[in-house]
Amino acid sequence: MGADSGPGAPSAVPWRKVLYERQPFPDNYVDRRFLEELRRNVRVRHYRYWGVVREAGLVAQQLSCVAAFLTLWWYMDQSQLSPSTLLMAGLLFALLGYGLYEALGASRGGGRTRLADLQSAAIFLAFTFGFSPVLKTLTESVSTDTVYAMSAMMLLAHLVSFPYAQPSPPGSLSLNAALFASVCLASRLPGALHTFAMLTCALLVFALWPCLLHRLRDRAPWGFPWAAALVSLGSVAGLASLSPGGALLLAVALLTLTLLCPLLLVRLQRHKDNIHGPWDEAEIHEDLSHFLQ
Amino acid sequence: MVLKIFFPRCCNSADSGLLVGRWLPGQESAVVLAVIHYPFIPGQVKRYLSELQAQSQVELSVLGSWSMPKEGQEGMESFLKDLSTIFPQDRWLQLSRGAGRRGFACQLVERGGGSAQDGGDGGGDSDGVIFVHYDQRKVMLSQLHPPEGGGGANGTAEPSELRLVFQTVARSQPLFATDQYDDGPLKVTHWQSEGREASIIVELTKQASVPLCALLTWLLSLWTRLCRISLFNMWPVRFVTSKLSTCVQLSYRTDHLRTVSSPKKASDHMEFMRKANIFVSFFVDVALGLLLISWLYRANRISRLADILVPAADHVAKELQELLQWLMGAPAGLKMNRALDQVLGRFFLYHIHLWISYIHLMSPFIERILWYVGLSACLGLTFALSVLSDIVALLTFHIYCFYVYGARLYCLKIYGLSSLWRLFRGKKWNVLRQRVDSCSYDLDQLFIGTLLFTILLFLLPTTALYYLVFTLLRLVAVLFQGVIHLSVDFINSFPLFAMGLRLCRPYRLAEGVKFRVLSEEPGKPLHLMMEINPLKYSSVLQWYRTPTYSCYPKDSWVALCKKLFVGELIYPWKRKGTKTD
Amino acid sequence: MTEDEFTDINGKAISLQCQSHSNFCREFTVSAPKLSLRRIMVYTCSVWLVAYVVFFFTQNTAVLSSAIFITLVGMMLHIHFVKIDHETLLIVGSLGVQVSSSYASGRESTTFIEMSKIKDIVINEAIYMQRVIYSLCILLKDPSDPGAVSTVVPLFQSSKPRLNCLVKVYRSCQEILAQC
Repeated sequence: MGADSGPGAPSAVPWRKVLYERQPFPDNYVDRRFLEELRRNVRVRHYRYWGVVREAGLVAQQLSCVAAFLTLWWYMDQSQLSPSTLLMAGLLFALLGYGLYEALGASRGGGRTRLADLQSAAIFLAFTFGFSPVLKTLTESVSTDTVYAMSAMMLLAHLVSFPYAQPSPPGSLSLNAALFASVCLASRLPGALHTFAMLTCALLVFALWPCLLHRLRDRAPWGFPWAAALVSLGSVAGLASLSPGGALLLAVALLTLTLLCPLLLVRLQRHKDNIHGPWDEAEIHEDLSHFLQ
Repeated sequence: MVLKIFFPRCCNSADSGLLVGRWLPGQESAVVLAVIHYPFIPGQVKRYLSELQAQSQVELSVLGSWSMPKEGQEGMESFLKDLSTIFPQDRWLQLSRGAGRRGFACQLVERGGGSAQDGGDGGGDSDGVIFVHYDQRKVMLSQLHPPEGGGGANGTAEPSELRLVFQTVARSQPLFATDQYDDGPLKVTHWQSEGREASIIVELTKQASVPLCALLTWLLSLWTRLCRISLFNMWPVRFVTSKLSTCVQLSYRTDHLRTVSSPKKASDHMEFMRKANIFVSFFVDVALGLLLISWLYRANRISRLADILVPAADHVAKELQELLQWLMGAPAGLKMNRALDQVLGRFFLYHIHLWISYIHLMSPFIERILWYVGLSACLGLTFALSVLSDIVALLTFHIYCFYVYGARLYCLKIYGLSSLWRLFRGKKWNVLRQRVDSCSYDLDQLFIGTLLFTILLFLLPTTALYYLVFTLLRLVAVLFQGVIHLSVDFINSFPLFAMGLRLCRPYRLAEGVKFRVLSEEPGKPLHLMMEINPLKYSSVLQWYRTPTYSCYPKDSWVALCKKLFVGELIYPWKRKGTKTD
Repeated sequence: MTEDEFTDINGKAISLQCQSHSNFCREFTVSAPKLSLRRIMVYTCSVWLVAYVVFFFTQNTAVLSSAIFITLVGMMLHIHFVKIDHETLLIVGSLGVQVSSSYASGRESTTFIEMSKIKDIVINEAIYMQRVIYSLCILLKDPSDPGAVSTVVPLFQSSKPRLNCLVKVYRSCQEILAQC
């Protein structure tokens, strides 16, 4: 743009932004009209506070799901919760959830048949039950701290990589990380049946519950906040029975996530200044996938 | 242009006469081969030369005259000058040597043009001539490297001057056939052998070699026909024979003998050397083998060896058992999966148990087997070594089995883990496009995949440890076999004859020549001494190494390590089917 | 026969001996720098010191004798295979060039290159460690393509003389090459 007022720029020949013509201008010459094409905040979205809170509720409820799962595991580890009770409760919740799911998705368009669902359930149960003795001995020579650290990492990976925009079908990495963590945790439990119950529980919490929640959000938008709030309250209550301090912390975290963070987002939206213009923006296309292989 | 005259040293003090030799085509140089003395009849000389030319295919001609003044031969000078009219040539050389002088005088007479160049005592222009003295015998016998026909591309190019000199001298061997005791029509001075190296033994050997070769060829053809019987070509037999190093060595030796016993005469130098190398190394091999036999079968060493062998195998098995017990505990403080550890450990222990009982079953027969196997050493040391290698392979079969089990298990785990890791990340391997694509899996696929991934991941250290230990054991065995194979290969391919020739007759294998300045008197032609530069030992090895079945590691060290890491089976000393130079 | 003093690239004294046998035959001998006594002393002393330290801890006299043996063998190998005493270039017009280097032990290794194979003799620049040095080189013809150079044979490799010495040899060589 410094070349704008060049000495030998005759006003008779207008400058054109083409490369195929020889023009009496230096190569880096740009016209005065260059900045006229500058535009700001082209595709910016204007958020409403309660809409953001509603979406953030999903994050909060996933966090509370993890907390609830950990609480259940703790009770199992302390043998205060018998595996049969957990299994019964799990069965009950599964049947309830399945009924709700079917009721909501009345117009099934070429989806899965009941037989396929039953088959999947059979595979889950058979494999988990068959492998639970193996899983039981899997980490017995690994130190407990290592197992805890590994589980914590994996649950964090689950929370980070969870597809919050589209929870169904669950993302591979998030589901796998959660399952890995639950296998690690379950292998520390005292018996094979415990392991089986814990894994079933993990399946319900991490794989099936997001599907139900997604359908709930689609078909019955009014029920979704209530479900999220219910889960959050439940997990806080469950944690409170274990350690009140932890429950307080979780409650604070949930409140921050649902109320404070959306507020911040909406407030800071005013300061957004995104410029677009007729230039090539530098974009970094770096394929990071080869680091993962 | 400078005139070069290659002059044989033996003619330095010859009597006066005619110079016989050859003008090199395209070069300003002449090779003097001999001096013909007086008295001679010119017609006879011409006939003699044309006969020789027909025999040796070298364009021999009379180059000029040579005068060596002696007492009482005064009129010789003018007579020699007149000779040029009798033998019409384009150029006529007149060499003369003054009595008591070291240098020669040289005069070149162009036909029709009188004296063109004049070097000598009185002449001023002495720079035009170089005398290169050479040792006729050594030049005749030596082979300049690289040999002709060796490099296919250079065959068409014009041979260099030195090569022409060597060729000329070597081909005119019939000229040197007459020795000083011959009473021919002409008296000739050139290099003369001190009589043929003839003895009755050499003659007898020569006579006997022809039927011997025929017999050998017949036996070999019989053997080949025996090998071709369809029974031996069935799959299992062929597979086993290709794996046993003794059989490979046998086929290799058969090839060798076929080369040696072929009744055709060796066409060129390389083929002759190859035959000689094979012959000598075969003899040395057999001699070493016989030495081994004479050592082995004396003082009851075989039975002592057998007595050592069984306890040694037992001992190895015991050590392995202890190793397995150690692995089944907590080896080096590593935390392994106890259940899998126990299963693997018991499996391998059972194998060793089987092995020990097998050895004990064999033990009464081992001495007998060794006795018969030891006889194979009379075919050569290489056979004995090959048999030893096979015996070692058979005795360490359990280690090989362990290695294979460990490697297969480990390989399975690695492949499973790598594909499940892709599933873990929600990716899959696209076979058609040879790349990793993202893919959305079903819920049950994800669940089972993760379950298996976790299990495999936690069981990997146990398997890897077993794999590591047995791979190390296997590598030790392979290293031992490799050393044996390398030594066998060394004996097979070492060019013993060429080495001996280089050691005892260094001039026979020439890499080139080297020159030494003989005399430097101002106003006299330059005299150089041409000596033969013998081939370096490393070049001898490179030229005359018998091509053999390569038994060097097929892949580079990096590839080997990669294979070891992935758990592929390695056979680093496997012989290739193709010959390599 | 003339003898001149020059220095090599490290500043050590070397001598160039030119011998003219005839108009078209000259011989150049470059004597390499002498083996320095100090270096021999340093190497020998260091080997013996190490041996003595090992001996001090192990109390094994075989260490000392092996150290003596190692130094002796090392010295022999050095003078037989490494240390070059002088290098000779014999150039004979229309016949060829002979390069020979004789080792300190008297061993000689000689190569003769025929004139028909030689394309030219030049002074070349070469990068040696961190500096650029000059060296005399023989360019060999490519047998398949007469215009091209197939190999470069560097001369005076062990005693690396400086440019002024090389120029002298180069001039004489070119004189002879021009004659034929």
